[in-house]
Amino acid sequence: MLKMNNISKMYQTEMVQTHALRDFNLNVNEGEFIAVTGPSGSGKTTFLNIAGMLEPFSDGEYFLDDINVGKLNDNQRADLRNQKIGFIFQGFNLIPDLNLYENIEVPLRYRGIKANERKRRIEQCLEQVGLASRAKHLPQQLSGGQQQRVAIARALAGEPRFLLADEPTGNLDSLMARQVMELLEQINRDGATIIMVTHDPELARRAPRNIQVVDGQLADFTLYQGAQNLKNVAGV
Amino acid sequence: MLLHYLDLSWRSFKRTPLVSFLMVLAIAIGIGITMTSLSVYHMMSADPIPEKSSQLYNVQLQTMDEGRTWWKYDNMPLQLTYQDAVNLLNAPVETNKVAMVRSGFSVHLNSDTLKPFIGGARLTTPDFFNMFNVPFIYGGVWTQQQEQTAAPVVVLSEKINDKLFAGENSVGKMIYLDDLSYEVIGVIADWQLTTKYYDLNNGAFNDTEELFMPFSLLEANEFNNWGNTNGWKHEVTHTFKDKLQSERFWIQFWVQLPDEKVKNKYQDYLLAYMQDQQKNGRFNRKELQYTLRDVKQWMAYNDVVSEDNKILVALSFMFLAVCLANILGLLLAKFLRRAPEVGVRRALGASKRQIFLQHLVEVAMLGCFGGLLGIVLAQIGLLGVRQSYDYYSSLATMDLTMLISAPLIAITTCILAGLYPAWLVCRTNPAIYLKSQ
Repeated sequence: MLKMNNISKMYQTEMVQTHALRDFNLNVNEGEFIAVTGPSGSGKTTFLNIAGMLEPFSDGEYFLDDINVGKLNDNQRADLRNQKIGFIFQGFNLIPDLNLYENIEVPLRYRGIKANERKRRIEQCLEQVGLASRAKHLPQQLSGGQQQRVAIARALAGEPRFLLADEPTGNLDSLMARQVMELLEQINRDGATIIMVTHDPELARRAPRNIQVVDGQLADFTLYQGAQNLKNVAGV
Repeated sequence: MLLHYLDLSWRSFKRTPLVSFLMVLAIAIGIGITMTSLSVYHMMSADPIPEKSSQLYNVQLQTMDEGRTWWKYDNMPLQLTYQDAVNLLNAPVETNKVAMVRSGFSVHLNSDTLKPFIGGARLTTPDFFNMFNVPFIYGGVWTQQQEQTAAPVVVLSEKINDKLFAGENSVGKMIYLDDLSYEVIGVIADWQLTTKYYDLNNGAFNDTEELFMPFSLLEANEFNNWGNTNGWKHEVTHTFKDKLQSERFWIQFWVQLPDEKVKNKYQDYLLAYMQDQQKNGRFNRKELQYTLRDVKQWMAYNDVVSEDNKILVALSFMFLAVCLANILGLLLAKFLRRAPEVGVRRALGASKRQIFLQHLVEVAMLGCFGGLLGIVLAQIGLLGVRQSYDYYSSLATMDLTMLISAPLIAITTCILAGLYPAWLVCRTNPAIYLKSQ
C-alpha cells in the first residue's frame, strides 16, 4: 500500500544542511497498525509529513497505492491526500470557529461530497466516537480527550484507507489516552491502515508493528504483537 | 463551494470585527471620494441624448476673410451670423433644422397677485422640440405659419407653469414678458439635461430655459441676445437691423441628418450655399470651409469636461490606491495570522487553489461592504457638492451606472489588493503549523 525507497529529506539554510531523513525505506501493507518511535529530532514527524504528502522529499521514490507521489503536482497531491489519508494530530488542530459538525465536514467539502451524504457520514462518525449529542458544540467547550475524538471522527469521515497519527495521545491523560488508543485499534480492526508516531512505549507496544527512526533512518524493526504478523515472521 | 466561502468570510469578519471594520472603512472612504469625483465626471461626459446624438449636428461656417484667425484650434467660429442662420433654415434638404438664440424677460401676469420675476427664454424654430426630444404635458409647439408671422405665443416649462398657474393646464392663457402679452400654447414636462449641449455659451451645465418662443420674434420685437456675440472685424451696428445684417456670430444652428445620404446631400448644399454667397462678397476665402459636429463631437470640441475634472478623477483614484495599500497591509496581517488554520485545511485536502479562492472571496466580500458604505459616503460628498455649487446641481448625482460601478470598483480593487496576501497564505507549508499548534 505504501512504499518508500531511499527517501531523503534535506533542509538547506545559508549556513547548514540538515538531513531529516536519509535513505529511508519502508513498506506498509494494507491493514497494518504501525507505531513509529524514536528520540526527538530523529525524523519521525518528517517521515509522517512526507507520508501524508504535506512536505516534498528531496530524493527517492514514494508510491501510495502504486501511484508515484513524486510525479504529482500540488492539486493532485491534495486530491490524493483528501481521498486516501486521514490525519490525527497531537494538538487536535480543530478549527476553533467551527462547531464539531462543521469541523468534521471540512475534508468532505473539499472532496465535493453532497450535503445529504456529508450529513450521513458526520452523524455516523460522531456516533462512532461517542459525541453525537455534541454536534453543535464548539471545540473549546470540550475536554482534550473529547477534542481528540472529534479529530479522529474528522479523519474517519472521509473513509480513508490510511490514517496518520502524530502523537495522538500526547496531550491527554492516561485514561483518555487509553480510550483514544482503543478507538484507533477498533478503526484498524475495521480495515484502516494506521501509522502512529508516539513517544509512549506502552502505546507503541500495543501496535502490532513497531519501527524506530534514529537520525533520519529506519533503525530497527520489531514485532511485538499480532498473531497474523507473528505467523508471517515465523513463516507459518 | 462559493456559498461555503462566503460563509467562512462572514465568520472571519465576525471573528475580527475591529480589523474588518477598519478595512471596510478604508475602502469606503477611498470609494466614497473616488465615486464623488467619478460621478460628476460621468455625468459631465455622459451622452445627453444617446438615442440620436449621432444624428444631430451643429453647423459651423467659416465666414471670416482669408488670413483671419479664431481662438479655436481649427479657427472655426462657434456660432453663425443671423443672415446665414435664416438662409440655412430655407435649405432645400428635407430634414429637421433649428436656429436659436437665448434671451430673457421679466415674467408677470399683469396683476398684483404675482411678483414679476426674470425668466430665461429660447427663441427657436418649431423643429427644436422634435429634434431634442422635448416632452410636452399640455398643448404643443407653434405652427410654421405662426413662426413665419412672428405670432406672440409661448411654450412654458413645467416649473414656470407651476409658478404662474399652479401646475394647471395653462394653454390659451396669457402671460406678460416685459410689456408684451403672449398666449400660452404648450407646457413642456420637466426637461433637464446633464449637459446643455445645444447651447454651450452660458455654461455647459446650466438649466434649460423656462420659456420657448418663435425665432421670428427676435427680428420682429428686437429682443436682446442673452448669449455671446462675437465679431471678427469692425462693423457699425447702430440699429438692430445692422446687427441682423452684420458678420457677427450669435446664432446657434443645428440640423438632424439621419443617415449618410442626407448628410452628403446637406454637405453639398452647404458648399453650394457658400459659393453662392461669395457672389455677394462674403466668404472671402480660397478654400471654403464648414464643419458638422454631432453631439459628442461638439461636447469634446468645446471641452465640456475640463482637464481639471480629469485630474481630479485621477487624484481620487490615487487616494483609493493609498487606501488599498493600507488594506493590503491589514490583509497580510490578518491572513498570515490564520496560517495555522490554513495548514489544517491543506492537510485535510484543500488545494492551494481552493485556499487562494477562499481568501479572494473574503476580500471580495470586504470590497462589497466597502463599496456599499462608499456609496453612502459618495452620496454625502455629492450632497456637499450640490449644496456648495448650484451649477453642479444636475451633475452631482449618481445614476444607476455609478451605483452599480461603486461596489464593482471596490470589489475589483480589493481583489487586486488581496491577490498578494491570498497568494502568500495559500503557499503556507502545512507541516510547519500542524505540529506547533
